[in-house]
Amino acid sequence: MFPGFKHLLEYRDLFLVFLWRNFSIRYRQTIFGILWAIFPPLSLMILFTVVFGKIMSVKVADYPAPLFFYLGLLFWNFFASSLNFTIPVLANHYNLITKIYFPKEILPFSGIAMATIDMMIASVLLIAMLVYFKCSLTIYALWIFPLTLLLILFTIAISLFLSALNVFYRDVQLASSFLIQLWFFMTPVFYSIDKVSVNMKLVLFLNPLTFIIENSRRCLFEGRPVVVWQYLLMFIFVLIALRSSYSFFTKMEKRFADVI
Amino acid sequence: MSSENAVEFQNVWKKYSREAIFHKSLREDLSRLFKTASTRDGLSQGEFWALQDINLKIKKGETVGFYGHNGAGKTTILKLIAGVTFPTQGSLQVRGRVAPLLEIGAGFHPDLTGRENIFMNGAILGMKITEIKQKMNSIIEFSELSEFIDMPVKKFSSGMYLRLAFSIAIHSEASIFLFDEIIAVGDGAFREKCLEKISDLKRKSKTVIFVTHNLELLKSLADRIINLNKGEIV
Repeated sequence: MFPGFKHLLEYRDLFLVFLWRNFSIRYRQTIFGILWAIFPPLSLMILFTVVFGKIMSVKVADYPAPLFFYLGLLFWNFFASSLNFTIPVLANHYNLITKIYFPKEILPFSGIAMATIDMMIASVLLIAMLVYFKCSLTIYALWIFPLTLLLILFTIAISLFLSALNVFYRDVQLASSFLIQLWFFMTPVFYSIDKVSVNMKLVLFLNPLTFIIENSRRCLFEGRPVVVWQYLLMFIFVLIALRSSYSFFTKMEKRFADVI
Repeated sequence: MSSENAVEFQNVWKKYSREAIFHKSLREDLSRLFKTASTRDGLSQGEFWALQDINLKIKKGETVGFYGHNGAGKTTILKLIAGVTFPTQGSLQVRGRVAPLLEIGAGFHPDLTGRENIFMNGAILGMKITEIKQKMNSIIEFSELSEFIDMPVKKFSSGMYLRLAFSIAIHSEASIFLFDEIIAVGDGAFREKCLEKISDLKRKSKTVIFVTHNLELLKSLADRIINLNKGEIV
């Protein structure tokens, strides 16, 4: 399915060095260092809990609201910070791309890997909250892993496509913050789709993040399983997206050095 | 292709556009859709041939220098050999791993220390992490920067950058080395050392390809000088 994969393995040391570099640059000269992985979802969770719970008195779920918000933010943050990193990453490395050959997808991959590690660090707080709120997990909580996999694959698909497109049209970079913001509102991070109409639900489910976030709440906090055929359908959809954006990327890659 | 050749160009043509060098926006591209007037020589408006019908063979172990004015196509040839760009027409083969000398900004991150940058630059040149660790001392020693090696490279002078870049490049296990103009910089003593090292590469029968305006230097180093003018071999 991905012909360049074996070739990519040869360059795994370069991938590791890029990943390490991303981390050391980001946390250099900071006081809190790695805690910065937790602050953004934590602060928004507190904000949402206060605004929706105390000010607007909206009841978002039958379980504690901080859990509801934090899980959505955890996944959303992974997606948004991956895109923020990957969209300009090729254009930023033009002086490398015009000098030496290496599989260019390593650049976006290293950013997504960094966001994955951040997500893992931030999920420690989720575990602490599950203990604090005395949530009893069922076996269905294990669904969180295939759902996370789906999220990562989908993020790779979007990142490869947009980062390659940005080499040709810097409009992508300029539109990205606005686009990410729009996407945030289309994703049930601070709301639940339970309360919206059926037609609206269908529209929202065109966004794979809706499926991922809704279902992870369902299996983690409500103790219910994911519907297998729905998961498979979504998985196939994401694989097709990944395959198409990968071949778009490799096709465009040959022209990067000429147009960047 | 004969196995003795490290690099082989067959009727290579390379077209570039003057306009789309750095930045292209969607609006410009859409407006271009409506005016696709091509001229007789296969060039659209604003395009030019950077290389025209280049036929070239570079043997393994040979040291070749490219000479020519700015815009003669020297850098384009290096880019084609490095595999970052591809010919518009014709074909080329390259045998063996290629190590270009990475300039300031390319393989270096300003916030990382010299030592950390050795890891980054080395990995970009295709070295394994263990290999870089083994060669670390030797790289630092050659660069003569041991006092400054744990300092962020943004505090380096351009001469120091060059020393480090050169030192990393020659420690790679590549079989084809590309030097783009950069040997001309640096102080006299270090330059001597670099030239010595390049002769050393020759003795190890590595292929060395370089580009310079300096004809003296070219004559003293190269087995063969290829003169380029306006994208053609003269």
